[in-house]
Amino acid sequence: MFKNISYAGVFVTAVLLQIFLLDNISLGVYFHPLVYSVFIILLPLDTRPVWVVLSSALLGVVMDVMTGTDGLNVIAATAAGFFRPMVIGATCGRTVGPDDALPALYRLTAKNLAWYIGAMVVLHSAIFFFMETLSLRHLPHVLLRLAVSGTAAFVLAWYFVRLFVEKILNK
Amino acid sequence: MYKLIEFIRRIYVVLLFLIIEAIALNYYAHSSYYTQAKILSHANRVTGWAQSGIFSVKHFFTLRRENEMLTSRVAELEGRLAAYREAASAAQTDSLAAAVAADTLGVGLENMSQYRYMTARVVSNSIHRDRNFITLNRGIMHGVMNDMAVITPDGAMVGYVVGCSERYSVVLPLLNTDFRTSGKIAGDDYFGSISWRGSSPYEVEMTELSKYAAIEEGAEVVSSGLSHFFPAGVKIGYVESFELNESQTAYDVTVRLATDMTRLGNVILIENMDFGEVSDLEADVEAGRTDRMEYQP
Repeated sequence: MFKNISYAGVFVTAVLLQIFLLDNISLGVYFHPLVYSVFIILLPLDTRPVWVVLSSALLGVVMDVMTGTDGLNVIAATAAGFFRPMVIGATCGRTVGPDDALPALYRLTAKNLAWYIGAMVVLHSAIFFFMETLSLRHLPHVLLRLAVSGTAAFVLAWYFVRLFVEKILNK
Repeated sequence: MYKLIEFIRRIYVVLLFLIIEAIALNYYAHSSYYTQAKILSHANRVTGWAQSGIFSVKHFFTLRRENEMLTSRVAELEGRLAAYREAASAAQTDSLAAAVAADTLGVGLENMSQYRYMTARVVSNSIHRDRNFITLNRGIMHGVMNDMAVITPDGAMVGYVVGCSERYSVVLPLLNTDFRTSGKIAGDDYFGSISWRGSSPYEVEMTELSKYAAIEEGAEVVSSGLSHFFPAGVKIGYVESFELNESQTAYDVTVRLATDMTRLGNVILIENMDFGEVSDLEADVEAGRTDRMEYQP
């Protein structure tokens, strides 16, 4: 129950952080960190894929309604949620044991956690920026934007995740 | 039904993802003119690519029918060409009778031609025996009869019909040791006898070619028109090598065939409509019955 409330809190915090803080920081066109995907990142690693997809879609709907982006956030967030099991498989691996289970988020090494967060942030941001542009003619600008915004989003997501893991999951 | 449910149960996450993405994409596409134009443009490109692929596959399966149509068209045009050649030849020899007759009878020049063309497809072909035969998918009911010449769509000699059933016919090809016809070097009037020794499926022999013939390696060998089966000028092959025979009176020529007999598909049949008349006449003369040679008004 406590954990469910915690994840709801993460959902609300991530959305509010994105809408009221990060979307209002004007540091140029290349700076647009999308940190709200941290909710998808923080979902338990063994969550059933269907729930991850539905949660991601809900997150995208809320973001679209709040920011007036008409489906763009749903596209990016749902795709990030759908591909999350593959990203986990590629970056986190599995525990060695008879049950061959996925490790809990707080048991991941810092290196694996960094790869996982980085891959998810880049995946989500790349889909968002490419769908926003809808053209390969501006590819260098999109890549530069992805590099700047992705790096900022990764740093913010890293601290967000570490905070959540240490203050909530380890309790 | 159970398998379908099992299949859907296995991929329902993917289906759910695709449905959500499709709805979001549709919503996003209609959010502004820019996104609408861009997404429609990309969608059209994908649709065009898919349709192009489907068309290519469908076109592949119609190639055979198209090929048969083209071959049939070639046969028809060969018939017309032969008619015009004859008309030109008649004009050159100051004999416009054919054209006058055609005009008088009210029929086209095509109908005055000595040769009639039709197409067929090879359904069986052998090349490894001494006496090889080819079977065609056209027979008596299609108008095929014995002694019709058989050539490829590009005009190279194949053989002539020696047997017919209702729906099929058998051809005695160049690659049969019983095959004989008359050939000559293109552009020259000396003729020789074409036959096959039963060795290579790519070569035949031309013997008894006069030593005065203008022969050289690579020269084209064509039918002389003296055998009644084939019109003059049907391509047989090219001179591979030649040498004088033992009596030093004629050349023995090795001819590389123009036709690849190992991969025959569609062929053209040529009927010499004067064949029966000429054969009967020759038989009568040989038998000593010369009364038919007299003019009967």
